[in-house]
Order: sequence, then structure tokens, then C-alpha cells
Amino acid sequence: MKTFKGLDAVSSWAGLAALVLLAVMPVVFTSNYLVGVLTVAAIYGIWSVSWDFMSGLTGRENFGHSLFIGVGAYAAGFLNVQFGLGPWWSLPVSMLVAMVFALVLGFPTLRLKGPYFALAMLSSAVIMQRLMLIFWEYTGGEEGIQDITPLIANHLHYYWFVLAVLGIVTLLLSWLAKSRWGLILRAIRGDEATCLAAGLPITHYKILSLVISAAFAGLGGALYAHYQLQVSPQLFAVVTSITVITMVYVGGMGSIYGPVGGALLLTVMTEGLRDFGEWRLMVYSMLLIFILFFLPNGIIAPVWHKWRHKGQQP
Amino acid sequence: MSALLEIRQLDKHFGGLHVLKHFNMTLQAGEIVGILGPNGAGKTTLFNLLTGFIPADSGEVMLHGKSIRQMKANAIVGMGMARTFQLCRPFIGLTVLENVLVGSLGPRVKHHDLGERAMHLLSQVGLADKAQQASESLSYGDLRRLEIARALATEPELLLLDEPFAGLGSIEIEALSALIRQLHQQQHLTILLIEHKLREFMQLVSRVVAIDFGEIIAEGSPSEIVNHPRVIEAYIGKQNPLDWDPHA
Repeated sequence: MKTFKGLDAVSSWAGLAALVLLAVMPVVFTSNYLVGVLTVAAIYGIWSVSWDFMSGLTGRENFGHSLFIGVGAYAAGFLNVQFGLGPWWSLPVSMLVAMVFALVLGFPTLRLKGPYFALAMLSSAVIMQRLMLIFWEYTGGEEGIQDITPLIANHLHYYWFVLAVLGIVTLLLSWLAKSRWGLILRAIRGDEATCLAAGLPITHYKILSLVISAAFAGLGGALYAHYQLQVSPQLFAVVTSITVITMVYVGGMGSIYGPVGGALLLTVMTEGLRDFGEWRLMVYSMLLIFILFFLPNGIIAPVWHKWRHKGQQP
Repeated sequence: MSALLEIRQLDKHFGGLHVLKHFNMTLQAGEIVGILGPNGAGKTTLFNLLTGFIPADSGEVMLHGKSIRQMKANAIVGMGMARTFQLCRPFIGLTVLENVLVGSLGPRVKHHDLGERAMHLLSQVGLADKAQQASESLSYGDLRRLEIARALATEPELLLLDEPFAGLGSIEIEALSALIRQLHQQQHLTILLIEHKLREFMQLVSRVVAIDFGEIIAEGSPSEIVNHPRVIEAYIGKQNPLDWDPHA
């Protein structure tokens, strides 16, 4: 039975091969610039898969994912700079802080029907960005928190570490998505009332999926803080959430692995378009509109799915 | 013997509209009872109240002697009451098998091999060969069967069917009617159903509760109900609404 088998072998091997390819690319091309681009792409990958786990599977779109990313990054900054703790503490603590935020926000908002969850999350991220500016004595205001210690000093080694985290997060969330729990989340996307009629406590499942999603967004936030060596309120901006959501759409929503491809594609595309100078944003937007118009289900997941089921009866 | 379901003085308003008026009813285990009434009589509201989808203003609902009035919809399923909807509501994006599996993930089900059990239920309703199809690709008749299979997957003792024949042709109605009868007789399932297709409805149920404007206007066997003056009045005002001879 497909649903309870977990990941299929071909997809797992393909994922592993893609990770190995990404790992050796900077070694082959020996470019520090490429290491930087791929590190940021991998962090966006973590944010995208974490968004997809909750919103892609349940259909409850979170427009405030930047909140969890931001609190994860600031938790790392505070721990490291203000409290002087070693950088490795950031990883579990940023996850924990993001989970607490998800629990506090998800508990009242995920009970509501309609767009209230999306609006509440969007507003929360905006409020948090303003709070970072209002309490500038503690948060550093516009400047944010500077001089964060790197987790791993060598950039290539750090990239490999981030890539490994991305692989583990994607594997874990894909496994969860294929489990009974994932089936329930997809059923919630299908029809909430029917889920209740099947005896399922849907709010409980939605809150738990948001908490898990937030944990990995927070982890990605901490990894970003230890890569940039600073955090600023800009991380909470709506544009961060929108970028992540766009990556998920381009990769293929609800597939978990697709958004990793979406994150890589869009990050590399952004960098590749630098030659266009001031026209860069326009070309980027045109390409994005082209992709979403002609491939509304995304690129990575639908193409992979079509290739895997080639020759099979529809 | 205590009743399986007992409804006492159940009352519901929607704004200024009194949709259910101090409703009383008892259902014994193993019965198959029909709720009859014209559009807007309060039948689906009654189902929504019983299954916890909307809260009652006052009154009491007892299942196995325990109050379920304050319970959430999913908890009521855990007590052994399952329902289908007037309009089919499959889980879009899931296969037929996955739709039934979702029903098996509730609190009552203790089986280990849920897949095998889901396939058994699909065989029972005649959908085994469509198990891997997308649920949205099913015909309306098959969607009705899928709804029943999903409700059965929760292992109910009491099954509430909201207009199971709606939108079906005569052959499909006959087959579905046979399936409901089989579930009742072979699995000793207690069934409460609402239906507008009165001929099939009256042949299926052993007792009818007729309601109009949220209150019971008649209760009895199908033959008693079809000739009841208040039922006739509620339907068309003049003559036997069913064009059906119970002795034929």
C-alpha cells in the first residue's frame, strides 16, 4: 500500500544523488562565490520545505513564515552575542523558540475558518519586525545584532553542513508527509468537515504541523544568522515569506522535495540575472510569471512525478 | 433495555427562525429509522446537531446513556456515531483507498492492517476495482458508496445517512438500497436516514418520524405514515404524497 510504505527507493536515491552533486559542485568549480550562493540556496531550501510541510499539505497558507525564521535568527544572535553561549547552542534553542511562537499563535488562529490564519500570521511577522525597531536598546534596532560567531569557520565546510541539514530535514519531512500523519494533513486540505466526520481532531493536527514547520524555519534562521554573522529586522519582512512561498510554488506545492528544487532554481536564477543590471528584477519577474502561468503546479515535483510514472495508466 | 440514541427536548434557533422545536426521539439498537419531511423541515439540522457540527440551544442527546450534546464532532465519532453528507464531500487529491483509510485513523479503530480493512470495506460497497483512482474521478453514485465506506471505516454502531439517494438514477438507487439493507441485516448496524426518494425510503425503513417546521408531526410504520393526515398536509395538502400503496 503506497501511503504507508514511506519514501520510495528511486526518489530517495535520486535525492541523495542530487545532494552529492550539490556537495561536489564548489569543489569542481573552486569558487567561493558559488559556495556563498549555494549556502543561501540551501538555507532557503530548509525554509521552503518547512513551509510546504504545514501549508502545502494542509492548504492553510502561512503568510508569516518570516516570523519563525526571524525569531530563530534572533534567538541565535541573542544567545551568542548577548549571553555569550557557544554557537552550537543556537540550533536547538532557535528551534525551541520558534516552536513556542507557533504554539502561541497557532492555538487561537488555526481554529478559525477562512483567511484569518493567513492574516494573523502576516500581521504577527509585521508586528515582530516593528517590535525589533521599537525595543532597539535590546535588539539593535535597524542594525540588528552584529558579530555573531560562525558555527564553522571554513565556508565550504559550513556549506556542506547546511546541505546535510537540508537533506535530513527534507528526508524527515518527506517521511512524515508519506506517513499516516501526512495522509491526515492532506485530508485536511481536501475537506475539514469530512475530517471531523471521520473522527479526526483537525485543530490538533494543524497546530502540531505548524509547530514542526516553525521548528525547521527557526533552525534555518539560526543557520542564516551564523552564515551572515548578523541579523536584522529585515528578516521578518513580508518579502521573506513571499520569496519562500514563491519557491514552493515553483518547486511544486505539497511534495516536500519539490520546494528544495524551487529554492535552488530561484536563488541561482537571481544570481544568474545580475548581468542584466537594473533590468534584473523585471527579467526575474517575467520569468516567474512565465513559469507560474504555463506550469501552475510548479516545475520540479510535477516533472519528477511524470518521469516516475511514465508509461503508466492515468 | 436502554436506548442506543435518546434525544430529549432538543432545540435550535437560527437567528429568529426556530428550526428545531423541543425534539424528542428514541432509537433502539438494530433499528433502521427514517426521518421524513419537506425541504426546510429541519432534517439536516437535526443531523448536524446530533453529530456535533452545530451546537444545540438546549435539550439533551444521549448515546449509550451518555450525554454527547457538548462533545466535539470528532469525539462523537469516537462514541460510535458516523454520518454521511447530503452533498458528497470526498477528500479531493486523495485516492479512493486513501479516502477510506482516513476514516480508519480515528479513535475507535483498533485494527493493525488498516489497508487490508479499507480494501475489505471497498469490496463491500463495490469499489475495490477503483481503489487507486482519484476520488474526484468517481461518478456520483460511486461517491455515495465511497461516503458510506468512509463512514463504516470509523466502526460505527449508529450510521446517519443524509439523503443517500439524492442525485442517483433508479438502478443506482436500487443497488444502494440493497447495500444499506445488507449493512443493517448482516452487520446489525443501527441506521437513521433522511431521504426524499420516498418510495425506496419507505421500503427500507421499519419506522418513520415525520417532521415539519422543526417538530414531529407523526411517528409510526411506513404504512401508518403515508396515510397520516398531517403528513399529507405537510407534503401537498390534499392526497397521499407518496403515490405509494404500502400493501402493494
